[in-house]
Amino acid sequence: MRRCVSHTFGIIQKSQIVYSGRSPMFNLIYYELFKTYAKWRTYIGFIAVTIIIPLVMWAMKVEGGRFIQFQMRSLQNDFFITGNLFNGWIIAQLIMNSLWVHVPFLISLVAGDQLAGEATSGTFRLTLIRPVSRGRILNSKYITTLLYTASLVASIAVLSVGLGLLIFGSGDLLAIDRDMLTILPEAQLWPRFALAYGLGILSMWVVASLAFLFSSFVENAIGPIIATMAVMVALLVVSNLPVESVEPIKPYLFTTYGNVWQQAFKNPIDWGTIAKSCSVLAAHCVGFWLITLFVFRHKDILS
Amino acid sequence: MSEEIILKTINLGKRYKNRWAAEDVNLEIHRGDVFGFLGPNGAGKSTTIRMIFSLIQPTTGSVELLGYRLETEREKALAKVAGIVEKPDFYLYLTACRNMEIAGSLTLGKTPQKQKIMDSLSLVGLEERAYDRVKTFSHGMKQRLGIAQALLCDPELIVLDEPTNGLDPQGMKEVRELIARLSKEHGMTVFLSSHLLNEVEQVATRMAIINKGKLVVQGSVDELLRSSANKILIIAEPRKKALDVMKKIKSVHSAAEDPSGIAATVETKDIPAVVAKLVTARCKVFSVQQQRSLEKYFLSVTEEN
Repeated sequence: MRRCVSHTFGIIQKSQIVYSGRSPMFNLIYYELFKTYAKWRTYIGFIAVTIIIPLVMWAMKVEGGRFIQFQMRSLQNDFFITGNLFNGWIIAQLIMNSLWVHVPFLISLVAGDQLAGEATSGTFRLTLIRPVSRGRILNSKYITTLLYTASLVASIAVLSVGLGLLIFGSGDLLAIDRDMLTILPEAQLWPRFALAYGLGILSMWVVASLAFLFSSFVENAIGPIIATMAVMVALLVVSNLPVESVEPIKPYLFTTYGNVWQQAFKNPIDWGTIAKSCSVLAAHCVGFWLITLFVFRHKDILS
Repeated sequence: MSEEIILKTINLGKRYKNRWAAEDVNLEIHRGDVFGFLGPNGAGKSTTIRMIFSLIQPTTGSVELLGYRLETEREKALAKVAGIVEKPDFYLYLTACRNMEIAGSLTLGKTPQKQKIMDSLSLVGLEERAYDRVKTFSHGMKQRLGIAQALLCDPELIVLDEPTNGLDPQGMKEVRELIARLSKEHGMTVFLSSHLLNEVEQVATRMAIINKGKLVVQGSVDELLRSSANKILIIAEPRKKALDVMKKIKSVHSAAEDPSGIAATVETKDIPAVVAKLVTARCKVFSVQQQRSLEKYFLSVTEEN
């Protein structure tokens, strides 16, 4: 390399650039993941679940099963129940039920920042002047968002099941449904929980896709977070509204299928309902992604 | 200078509601040019540059880069083009090295080798800060990092939007020297947008002036400035006597007192004769300066416009 400048600047010699290998799309995703996980806000979700889940476990331990007994007080009049039903599995299921309210907020913190954050910081002027199509850049960001969402749900799974089994031990799962009581044998629980968390990831991907879509409209990350939560609350209200006039639209709302993961604890598993729910949720993901792609490809970068 | 056109804009325009930010901009930049792009604030310089990089979509017209139409062959068109648009912004929470990796990988499709990155950083004097987060950098350092990331992929055309902004005088001088060398020694074409007229005058071979969204003039710097080349400033004493003498000389088209001397219009070939007559008239001639200034030319064309 020849250096030919006075003080600070020199001239870079034209040379054969040697690359370290990764395919272009994988490379884009690699750096998007790197950028995402180098940000402080990415860890808010992980820190929150790392604090909340052990806290809930501790509370359950202190309670010593009174919560379960309270839940089952009506059943004990009709059934004679033996064995350890107050175990790690039921705690994990209870945590799943309560966390799905907060998880969308944690996801939108990161998903809502994916595009808007780059607009705010002006780094679109660094990335979008390169010979890479906007579609590919968007796709790498979208895949990163989905991976982040999956990793957050997976961390909830590992923490709640792992810590639950460690503290409360294993046993059969008493799955309380609206219209029936099911006791699922211990041997079936690993695949059923895996299915439940898998379905949970899919329903959270819809939330992430929605936040990602809102992120393409604006230039600061606060807007997408608020908009996502507002839409979630509004649609949840509509989904649960016992009013006949809104019944026809309920099958088309993604919030109607948000609790599809509960199907994993039915006996027998209703695969038809799961398939239908997954189709609607996946269609929402694809729909939100397509709109985002259209918006992003036609967007003027003015920041 | 090569006749090969490396960047061409054809009737390029951008309209926002009822206002044209840029209208019918027809630029031609030849290979090897250092092309100065001048204009007052809000003239449409940045809008034009953003359209060249497809950051914003033109309302009218098109852009051709290295023979490829940007609209239909964007990836090929931008493959050998790099630059800084407005100000260099980076991922502040990442190191300089990591920012270089990201910028390089987007152009090359793969991560550039570490040594190449370090070489580029050392060229702008940032090798010792390679592993510091960019949020600890001054504005001048970010400018230098911007230039380093632009040069990383050996571009044929480099677009620099006010690259000396925020630099100290030494830094400005070095950037200008770098621009000149990029063109002369490496045949790199430089598109330099600047509001610093002397900067463009010092380094540019061709230039264009844009005002109120419209291209006012375009051509070689020498040709464009020739029209103002006959203006001279003579410092002579006694001033009154010197002025009287000059007014009587036929080859002096005009002469008037100026706060710093006598401003006159004289063709270059007649200057020695004028000086000789002043000396003969026992006037002391201290200096003769040609008033060949881009600033005056710029003001004249923008005010006319």
